[in-house]
Amino acid sequence: MSFLPLSFGFPAILLGLAALPVIWWLLRLTPPKPRSEIFPPLAILARVMRKEETPRRSPWWLTLLRLVMAALVILALAEPVLNPREAAPARGGGLALVVDNGWASAPDWEVRVATAGRLIADAADKPVLLAFTAEKPNAEIGPFDAAEAQRRLAAASPRPVPTDRPAVFARVAQALQAVPDAAVAVLSDGLAADGDEDAFATLLSGNAASLLWIAPDDLSAIGISDGRNLADAFSFTAIRPQADAAPRQAVAAALDDRGRRIAETTVAFGAGESEAEGLFRVPFELRNDFSVVVIDGESHAAATRLLDENARRRRVGLISQAEAGAAQPLLSPLYYIRRALEPFSDLIEPASTDLAEAIPQILEQRPAIVVLADVGTLPASARERLIDWLEGGGTLVRFAGPRLAAAGNDEELLPVRLRIGERALGGALSWTEPQPVTEFPPAGPFADLAAPVEVTVSRQVLAEPTADIVERTWAALADGTPLVTGASRGDGTLVLFHVSPEATWSSLPISGTFVEMLRRLVQLSSNQGRIDANGGATGAALAPYRMIGADGTLTAPGPDARPLLPGAVPAVTLENPPGFYGGEEGMVAHNLLAPDAVLAPLAQPQTALPVARAAYAFDEAVDLKGPLVAAALALMALDTLAVLWMGGAFSRRLRPSRAASGAANGAASGAAMLVLAGAIVVGLADPLAAQEAETADEEAIAAITRTRIAYVLTGDGAIDSLSRAGLQGLSRFLADKTALEPGEPASIDIESDELAFYPLIYWPVDAEAAMPSEAALARVDAYMREGGTVLFDTRDRYAPTLDGSASPSTGRLRDMLAAMNVPPLEPVPADHVLTKTFYIMPEFPGRYAGGPLWVEASLDAANPENRPVRTGDGVTPIMITANDFAGAWATDSSGSPLLPTVPADPMQRVYAFRAGVNIMMYVLTGNYKSDQVHVPILLERLGQ
Amino acid sequence: MARLGEATAPVAPRNAIARARLRASLVPDLLVEARRITNTVIAGWHGRRRRGVGENFWQFRPYVEGETMARIDWRRSARDDHIYVRDLEWEAAHTVWLWADPSPSMLYKSQLGNVSKESRALVLILALAELLSRSGERIAWPGLTDPFSSRNGAERLAARLHHAERFTARPGLAPVSRYSDIVVASDFLDPVEETVAWLDPLAERGVRAHLIEVADPAEETFPYSGRTEFLDPETGVRLTAGRAETLSQDYRRLYAARRDELATWCGRLGWSYTVSRTDRLASETLVKVHMAMTVNAAQGGGR
Repeated sequence: MSFLPLSFGFPAILLGLAALPVIWWLLRLTPPKPRSEIFPPLAILARVMRKEETPRRSPWWLTLLRLVMAALVILALAEPVLNPREAAPARGGGLALVVDNGWASAPDWEVRVATAGRLIADAADKPVLLAFTAEKPNAEIGPFDAAEAQRRLAAASPRPVPTDRPAVFARVAQALQAVPDAAVAVLSDGLAADGDEDAFATLLSGNAASLLWIAPDDLSAIGISDGRNLADAFSFTAIRPQADAAPRQAVAAALDDRGRRIAETTVAFGAGESEAEGLFRVPFELRNDFSVVVIDGESHAAATRLLDENARRRRVGLISQAEAGAAQPLLSPLYYIRRALEPFSDLIEPASTDLAEAIPQILEQRPAIVVLADVGTLPASARERLIDWLEGGGTLVRFAGPRLAAAGNDEELLPVRLRIGERALGGALSWTEPQPVTEFPPAGPFADLAAPVEVTVSRQVLAEPTADIVERTWAALADGTPLVTGASRGDGTLVLFHVSPEATWSSLPISGTFVEMLRRLVQLSSNQGRIDANGGATGAALAPYRMIGADGTLTAPGPDARPLLPGAVPAVTLENPPGFYGGEEGMVAHNLLAPDAVLAPLAQPQTALPVARAAYAFDEAVDLKGPLVAAALALMALDTLAVLWMGGAFSRRLRPSRAASGAANGAASGAAMLVLAGAIVVGLADPLAAQEAETADEEAIAAITRTRIAYVLTGDGAIDSLSRAGLQGLSRFLADKTALEPGEPASIDIESDELAFYPLIYWPVDAEAAMPSEAALARVDAYMREGGTVLFDTRDRYAPTLDGSASPSTGRLRDMLAAMNVPPLEPVPADHVLTKTFYIMPEFPGRYAGGPLWVEASLDAANPENRPVRTGDGVTPIMITANDFAGAWATDSSGSPLLPTVPADPMQRVYAFRAGVNIMMYVLTGNYKSDQVHVPILLERLGQ
Repeated sequence: MARLGEATAPVAPRNAIARARLRASLVPDLLVEARRITNTVIAGWHGRRRRGVGENFWQFRPYVEGETMARIDWRRSARDDHIYVRDLEWEAAHTVWLWADPSPSMLYKSQLGNVSKESRALVLILALAELLSRSGERIAWPGLTDPFSSRNGAERLAARLHHAERFTARPGLAPVSRYSDIVVASDFLDPVEETVAWLDPLAERGVRAHLIEVADPAEETFPYSGRTEFLDPETGVRLTAGRAETLSQDYRRLYAARRDELATWCGRLGWSYTVSRTDRLASETLVKVHMAMTVNAAQGGGR
């Protein structure tokens, strides 16, 4: 089992696996014992049995299943653990946990916390000292109880600073005196630091009983220890721990001050190299925007290198003696230089024109380049400082001019010896032509620039021809005389343009090449030292501005960050964590790694104490007992199902269960039911909705398949049945006398049923019935508006009222109509179409005679013309009667009337039926009859 | 699942003496049970409804010249001027052979049934014996008794059964004479051909037979499943079915086919074939058999 990270709590139980073949043998040999049954009709059964071949043995897969089940149970009993934890440290009187939380521990901090947490958990109730090596020196270290230690551990975080082992270890050693016989666990980050040996000696010399040494398995952090803006590239130095010897490549990226990724490069470590140089070969302007260089994939503070102004734009000091006013800027010697240099460098100009003050002012700014535009003799003090600066690495660029030409030779501040005076070409008194510039010599810094052939030089200072004049010539005229010469002085560079910086001597300053040449010079130079961001205001502390977090990203400064004091570069501590200090105006980068930093591995200290080694790891121990038992149970369930299946429980599940089939059958059908129920539940909602919709559809189809007269259910059974009988009687009468054969009368609930299917709704108004709701009345109103007709019947023609006021039914009708839009009404006039639709009807009696039938007033009621019938489009939406039509129409199935008419006149019932026919015809045909009455006249007019 | 079926008598098959002793202890109980269920039928027993030789009064009818004077009922004739003859209800002594299968398979009783098949068969036979005896028929047990007529025929039959020492599995049916009835209660589980061969001579002799098949519900429905070993109580043959439920359909078809065949055969001969399930009431079967006997008697005419 060594190939698996597996261990067993009780390995002896695994011997039980040896019993598997025996189990197999038993399972193979002994089929399940059959149930013995006496069965008299065996002869019949025997005839059936001939067809079946009884398996004498369990099928092989069932045997296998059971073997696997047995093996799983045995394995589970042995309590296997996957990825077992390392052995706990020697248990002493306590535990002293020293955890490195410097920058190098940030990438895998979680696993360190997990490891430490495990150690604390193992320490159980013993006192725990918990110290972090990158915390503040006054941080509490305990001893704590385990719970408190866990809380503190959870609260701890990696810091973007180096560890400080000596101080912390000393405190731990001191605290150990209170915890005798403690086990010391060192969770190191694997990187050596100064004073480690002494620190460990202090830690382990005291009360420590044993040492648990936990170091990372491999150190792979890559840090950036330096960054320089070179002439043609940005160079940075990446370092890695010396233990990491394999060739390795990393991607580095440069970010601007807003965190945008503007350049990317690859840095490659050779085999065994612990330092590598990376180059960003990007244009100079882009390089000037570099703010941060990071190594991709490294989430710790050392992989982030901050670049402040000092690593970026060159400072260029401009000095001239000409007092060119603002009136003639083009004649100022610095005009073209300034315009050329402004885009990619910081220009420094002295406050004073006095060279003795101006040059020291400039040099205090530690410029990369000082440009002396036609400056002749320098004051001695300024001259000394300038030479010092130059030899310290500065780049001094001088331009010729009348003053320089007059000043004479200066060995130290001129690259070549000059002939005193200047040379004029192409003047009025000269035969020579102004000289063009020729190709740049390949040895010089301008070699790869295109020569400005259009540039002509008419005046220049001449260099004495010397042996090394060719080497020093960086640019020359067509006749070979040097135009630009340069030489190195110490670490610095001295450059002389043999023409003046304005366009008087030559057209060089107004050519593009001039810009290129100056730019090249700037690239060649480097800033001579750092300046404080506050410029001249020395002594002021720089506030923390942007800090590097432990994961290498820029964050806001934490509460512990203190301002950076000017002067000597302070060590990186929690008070001065790495980051930008200053403000938006100017920032100073405080970087974690010094340029000469190396990442040395930390050696395990030599000690006489018992030492245990361990590795950082998450607690990945997985107790396999549970899953194994679960698997065995699942197999057992499977086995049960298989046995049930073989026993035929499923083949009969759809038949009616018999009592004798017993539990097996019940269980099987139960399972089947469960599945079925699940399927039903899944699809439950939709079928219900669909069913409802179907029902509604069916009702609608039934309602419109035949013309049906509807009546409103009042809730009073007597009235409702009378309405129904009345409408049935009317339907029969209609079927007898007319072409209309209505269907069964429809009873509608005014509150909920759809009304639109019915041409006429008969509404017996009952004062006893509940008042319809507002919504229902609104629906009736809508129905009437959309062409339906409601026949209200108050049935109170002869209702006695003592004071002649309205009867209760009429009152109820008034209440209902008050909530509806009721048109103006009138009793049916004698010429209304309703009187002529089928029968000629002067009046409309029901069970009672004499009551008027109210209909919508015709529009031209006030304008009686001599026409047989009043025209009128549309059908009255409302009819109101008090004559109890339904009572008159109501007949039983044999056709005999149910109620007597009042007065008891047989003809009145006939008239009542005729009234019903007229109403029905009117409702169905509208004003058709009002047109029909004109037909005879029309025919007569046609001469028929 | 517990065993469905059991043999009611833990006796070795063919041990005649033990069987007889057991039967002896069983018969009085059965007799009581038989009486009980007979009473449920006797209410509907109305004799032959014909005049004839018998013991019960049937009718008075006017004397016809030529009749024997001995039959004149003088007491009735004295009341008026006519002479009446007292007719008695016909009670022709009819011989009914009764036989219940004594084979070991009849001892079977399953949990689904209320009684063993043998118990049911004996109860039915004794009940018929009681019934027939009361109506004056002659009853007999083939191989055991000759036809006899007795008021307490069931008791006498029971007594004879009590003391019987051996039963033949298939008694000889030679004594069963023409025009007599025979009631055979058995499970008819033997091959149909054998049963037919055994009973066919009866048909040739014009004997009317009433076959009562006593069936246990377990035999009919075959409610077995899973691995089951079946034991034939008669032959001791064992059969093991791996998955009994797979057999049930075929088995039931064959079982029903056997019953159908027998029933068809009986119907063709004008015999009756009644199935009595031991989970149903015995009286149901008794009523059916009784109906079959009386209906046939009525159809049979005035024999």
